[in-house]
Amino acid sequence: MKSKSLSLKQILNEESVAGAIFTLPFIIGFLLFMIVPMLISLYYSFCDYNILSPPVWAGFKNYIKMFTEDSTFLKSIGVTFYFAFVSVPLRLIFALIVAMILFRTTKMTGFYRAAYYLPSIIGGSVAVSILWKRMFAIDGVFNKLLGYIGLNKDFSWLGNKDTAIWVLIVLAVWQFGSSMLIFLASLKQIPTTLYEAAEVDGANKWSQFWKITLPLLTPTIFFNLVMQMINGFLAFTQSYIITQGKPMNSTLFYTVYMYQQSFEFYNTGYGAALAWVMLAIIALITFVLFATKKFWVYDEGV
Amino acid sequence: MKRKLALLLALVLTVMSLAACGSSKTESASDATAPTETQGAAGGNGDSKHLIVAWWGNQTRNERTQAVLDLYSQQNPGITFDGQFVEWNDYWNKLATASAGHSLPDVVQMDYRYLEQYVSNGLLIDLKPYIENGTLDVSGIDESILESGSVDGGIYAISLGVNAPALLYNKTLLDEHGIEIKDNMTMDEFIDKCREIYEKTGYKTNVAYGNGDNFIEYMLRSSGKILFEEGKLGVDSAEELKPFFDIYEIGMKEGWHVDPGIFVERNISVEQEPIVYGSSPETMSWCAFYWSNQLTAVQNAAPEGMEIGITTWPADNPKAANYLRPSQFFSVTVDSKNPEEAVKFLNFFINSVEANNILLGERGVPPVASVAEAITPQLSDQEKLVIDYINNVVTPNSSPINPPAPDSAVEIFDLIDKLEERLCYGEITAAEAAQELFEQGSKIMAGN
Repeated sequence: MKSKSLSLKQILNEESVAGAIFTLPFIIGFLLFMIVPMLISLYYSFCDYNILSPPVWAGFKNYIKMFTEDSTFLKSIGVTFYFAFVSVPLRLIFALIVAMILFRTTKMTGFYRAAYYLPSIIGGSVAVSILWKRMFAIDGVFNKLLGYIGLNKDFSWLGNKDTAIWVLIVLAVWQFGSSMLIFLASLKQIPTTLYEAAEVDGANKWSQFWKITLPLLTPTIFFNLVMQMINGFLAFTQSYIITQGKPMNSTLFYTVYMYQQSFEFYNTGYGAALAWVMLAIIALITFVLFATKKFWVYDEGV
Repeated sequence: MKRKLALLLALVLTVMSLAACGSSKTESASDATAPTETQGAAGGNGDSKHLIVAWWGNQTRNERTQAVLDLYSQQNPGITFDGQFVEWNDYWNKLATASAGHSLPDVVQMDYRYLEQYVSNGLLIDLKPYIENGTLDVSGIDESILESGSVDGGIYAISLGVNAPALLYNKTLLDEHGIEIKDNMTMDEFIDKCREIYEKTGYKTNVAYGNGDNFIEYMLRSSGKILFEEGKLGVDSAEELKPFFDIYEIGMKEGWHVDPGIFVERNISVEQEPIVYGSSPETMSWCAFYWSNQLTAVQNAAPEGMEIGITTWPADNPKAANYLRPSQFFSVTVDSKNPEEAVKFLNFFINSVEANNILLGERGVPPVASVAEAITPQLSDQEKLVIDYINNVVTPNSSPINPPAPDSAVEIFDLIDKLEERLCYGEITAAEAAQELFEQGSKIMAGN
């Protein structure tokens, strides 16, 4: 009896064991609902699979088709890169500006912070997408407003292949809230002594921003950039609900194309292959971002 | 000791949550035998007396079908329904995904285009045994209509209505300007009408934009061709596909075709079709390339005071081009836990006069002749117009329907839409569009 309870106690004393048991629900869920489906999709990506009938092994056929025959694939990659590389920097700049404005605590800051954060919670929803579609319709609010200030008000923002993507970009930039909060938190981390010293040395606000605020924020900017970049590449709802890739695939996000291939054309094997290429692209971009880190991110002298 | 307890607790919780996952299957199976009162709340496929019926459609259809489901559960206590309806495009995504998860609804609305695919993949049940044992009474259905739901000797789908391609038009508008539309217009006559209407009224024309697959087939039929043959396209050169794209090129050049930009802002649905929806004549169409049964839905979606007329799609050889299309099938799926009940419901749906008095031929002329006759007095003038159109305009002047489209058709239809789009945006010419459809299409057909 004694030896048994002792051995149990010994096991208990191992923090790693207790930790493993406590994380077990997550680990099981992760394996079951993440890893297993991913492996299945990896298998499908090497198959001819149309959902309705069982998959048939096809080797690298899907991958070869993608890079040799499929012009829509390249088009959708182009659109997605454009979207991500334009909307993410814009969103971060916007988030930083608003964070600087809301940094000073007054009576209403709490309210404003919540108000500006709201779009990033609801912005990805179907309802907001539909609202956005209506706002930028020919007879929508946006054109009405333009009409009031005497501008051409019959322009079809969504129907024009040069402007449609910008409707989606504006929607993405509008969801700057979560980046803003992270910026706010790290703005508070910057020691006020630095600013005081700078003021003593006669630096104006502008050079304080460039010489103190921005360099000290680079770790946060880096974090936001990586996270938002990944989100940018995975954007789906906006394109799927608002434009469905129209006009002329000018807003066809990669994820929407993947969805079309998988569930509209029933080329699910091909869709799975597209997903794995997307994973590779995101991994590559994240890797490149990390590689550039040492050139511009302040590492606090570590 | 405390730690030990915590550890035990964690273990117990984990095991319990696992057990809960594992046992849910057996639980729902035992539910099936429980009293019926509790089942409505339980829902899902696991319930034997709970039937899920899925269809695509419009607002009118949704309301009427739901009313029939309610009627059936009223008359058959213990049967509850979950009626699921979505738009055409989403419907097929949803069905395919459900089939992969083996959770297809009990009764699904099936289309001629997808029937073969679903049968060859073993997703629908053969209704023949139920017809033989008397559960499903098809004695009132014409042999040829019954035939359209059969694949390889089995009957997998029952048509709910017969339709034909129909050009629906804004009769009020044309009457006001003294413009007359006659049945069986030729293509040139149609194009002249489009010009005349644009000049006199400012209303434009939507030539099945984004939805041209049926119309291109129709045009090919007119010249004795079909779009799909075994493993290849049914045309010999791009030249034969060009007349279809020519219409868009002419329409865009002369300004009478609606701007393709307006379609980005809307869904392709009856409610947002340019014939009934738009802020100015500039964004509206005087006609819609639709199906005869959709007259009711379009009329219901039309603004107050707009009367909708019906005529044939234009074709140089109407007799060759036009056809009757048994459509809007109902099928029972292999995932149904209680096919017997599903078939009984199907039997009610097609044979009950009471049910069809609610449906009023919204899916087309009812296939059971006696039912079609019995509901006639209840029909509105519009609905009578549809029956008259089918019986007197199309039936005497039509040819048999093309065989069902192959699996790769969906991709070709999408290609047609994309080419149409690039053409209307002025990126390519009609000749280039035809050439690309011929080349790409042949490749797609050969690949599958």
